[in-house]
Amino acid sequence: MKRYLLTSIIITLGLAAVASADTITATVNGMVCSFCATGIEKTFKAQPEVKSVNVDLQDRLVIVSTKQGKTMDDAKLRKLIGNAGYSVVNVEHSK
Amino acid sequence: MKTATLLSLTFSIALAANLEAKPLSYVGGLMLMQENDETGHTFSFDYTFRPTNAVGFYLKQEENGKEILMLSPEFNTLLKRWNLADGQGNIFNMSGAGVAVYHGRTQPSLWTAFLADYESRRWFLSYEPRFVYNGDIEKSFWQRARVGIAPYLANYNQLNTWLMLQVDHHPAKHDHFVATPLLRFFYKNYLFEVGYQSNQHIMVNWQIQF
Repeated sequence: MKRYLLTSIIITLGLAAVASADTITATVNGMVCSFCATGIEKTFKAQPEVKSVNVDLQDRLVIVSTKQGKTMDDAKLRKLIGNAGYSVVNVEHSK
Repeated sequence: MKTATLLSLTFSIALAANLEAKPLSYVGGLMLMQENDETGHTFSFDYTFRPTNAVGFYLKQEENGKEILMLSPEFNTLLKRWNLADGQGNIFNMSGAGVAVYHGRTQPSLWTAFLADYESRRWFLSYEPRFVYNGDIEKSFWQRARVGIAPYLANYNQLNTWLMLQVDHHPAKHDHFVATPLLRFFYKNYLFEVGYQSNQHIMVNWQIQF
């Protein structure tokens, strides 16, 4: 019975993790002006898995929230920021 | 008369030039730029199709002595970029090949310019030499430098303000050197500049990225 309960909990937690949204925080070099932020914002908002994007010029951060059950891998994030003209120095994911 | 003046003013403002902002945006981005100053009115419209290249359309109505109309497609290339923790440096080339019209006479028009800039959230520096060949109408060299400082650091979604000084050097023109103190305002995807030039012209520039 205990083993059954434990298995159920693990499966439930696992499914919850898969279904939850992802918050990705990227530290970006070269991002110094409003046009930089606009380019990044428009680029990410055009992605189907993205729910919202925030650009913080002060701390050089791009914070991307994905839709429920969706994520974005680091390679894609780096490519999109590169296409906007900037360089990613660090990426962190949190649920 | 008022309508004519208003239309002329609107047309002047609608015809503009290569603003001292970057000639590329993000992949898929469009940029509409205009510059009105002592040299005339310039207008350009660009589409960035990859991180290092944009294509567009360039129109310049020169004034101040020669009323030359230049019309060409333009091709903008990022030659080198340095993305730094606190700033960004770039070297661009902008070139065009089209036609120049002067008093009803049409000549081939070729122009190329290099733009080197460095920008942090506090400082701005740029230098741009430009070469123009308009057949037997005009062959000219022109260069421009800018320095700017942001009196306060604004974040995205806030109004960014810059105090700038622009110096133009036109060896072939009567006013060889023209100094322009100006104000630059950035808000999201809008840029607006206004300045007063040492040869008593008003400079008005704007740029929209979308």
